[in-house]
Amino acid sequence: MKLRLILGVMLLAGFAAGSDFGSLGTQAQTKSTLVDVDKAKALGSPNAPVTMEVFSDFQCPACKAYYDAVWRRLIDNYVNTGKVYLVHRDFPLPAHAYSRVAANYANAAARIGKYTMVERALFEAQEAWTASGDVDGAVARVLTPKEMIKVRALAKADALKAGIDKDVERGHLFNVSQTPTTIFHAKGQTFPYGGQVNYDILRQFLDQLIGQ
Amino acid sequence: MMQSFPLNFRRAFIWLGRMVLGGIFLYAGYAKLVLPTMHPRPPLGVALTFFAMQVDSYQLLPPWGVTFVAHTLPFAEVALGLLLLVGWGLRIWSTLVSLIMAGFFAAVVRSYALGLEINCGCFATPEKLTGVTVLRDGLLLALVLLMTVFAFQEARASHPWTAPEKPEPQTPEAQ
Repeated sequence: MKLRLILGVMLLAGFAAGSDFGSLGTQAQTKSTLVDVDKAKALGSPNAPVTMEVFSDFQCPACKAYYDAVWRRLIDNYVNTGKVYLVHRDFPLPAHAYSRVAANYANAAARIGKYTMVERALFEAQEAWTASGDVDGAVARVLTPKEMIKVRALAKADALKAGIDKDVERGHLFNVSQTPTTIFHAKGQTFPYGGQVNYDILRQFLDQLIGQ
Repeated sequence: MMQSFPLNFRRAFIWLGRMVLGGIFLYAGYAKLVLPTMHPRPPLGVALTFFAMQVDSYQLLPPWGVTFVAHTLPFAEVALGLLLLVGWGLRIWSTLVSLIMAGFFAAVVRSYALGLEINCGCFATPEKLTGVTVLRDGLLLALVLLMTVFAFQEARASHPWTAPEKPEPQTPEAQ
């Protein structure tokens, strides 16, 4: 009995480890072609040596933390200096009631050239509109009444919704299941990374990617 | 005269444990250093700093600690994997592997309990940390602990091939 139990444990351990080896083939290394980039939602030069595709959800607390801790410094030190091309991808998680609405507003703002401003407003006021559901109010704080009329109309347009769906499909291609997830592209290599990261650790990785 | 067959259950378990854990450690270290599924292969510096991001996602260590672990752990895994496969100094290395596996297990249990949505980083693949990861690490920890205990027991026991034979009891006639 004891012998069987011990052998069973060993077999299970071997099986579990083996199942992990099997997942190697699913790694998204071949999807290096950057497609369907909405330039209104991208920052920096498309010719930068590194491209970061960030799959994000406006209602996700981890995305807000990532935005607060990393975004500004990343843009100042890598995007504005031509080293990184930063592409925003919408990945509204079904568990979040207002993620889709927020994504619609952000994409509508992108059409009038106000994406960055609205993105910041949505993340800064995330807690408030998550509780109240008043996404419109959060966006209205940073846009003029005239801009808001345009954004409200655009947010209802099917074309924008199709754009968000394309981002989600792209995420599924990389097996994205959480936000934020960043896909790093450099020299034909693709590095998928799920979760937040400390800026200093990210900086080391980016420097290595750029310098290779 | 040989008293028992040398490959008893304990020795068979140790041998199997060495092969399983040695193979896993060797591959885990190699995968982190080389990223074998990636084409074209990135240089070592890229692979190590990519692993550093995965270590950081556990939110356990300060940046200097993350960098230290990311730049030493893959090499240690390769070395320990080879040592387990070879079987030299088994008690020392299996004790060290037990400590490392206990550390891995504590880290994945903590992350799972906190609901951190991160990748395991175990084999340099985008494998999400789930209950399966916790179960796998728990089983591997049980395996290495048992192997270590057996290795110490085996070292205390006399080996049937090398132990001196017991003198046969002398009969009164022989005296």
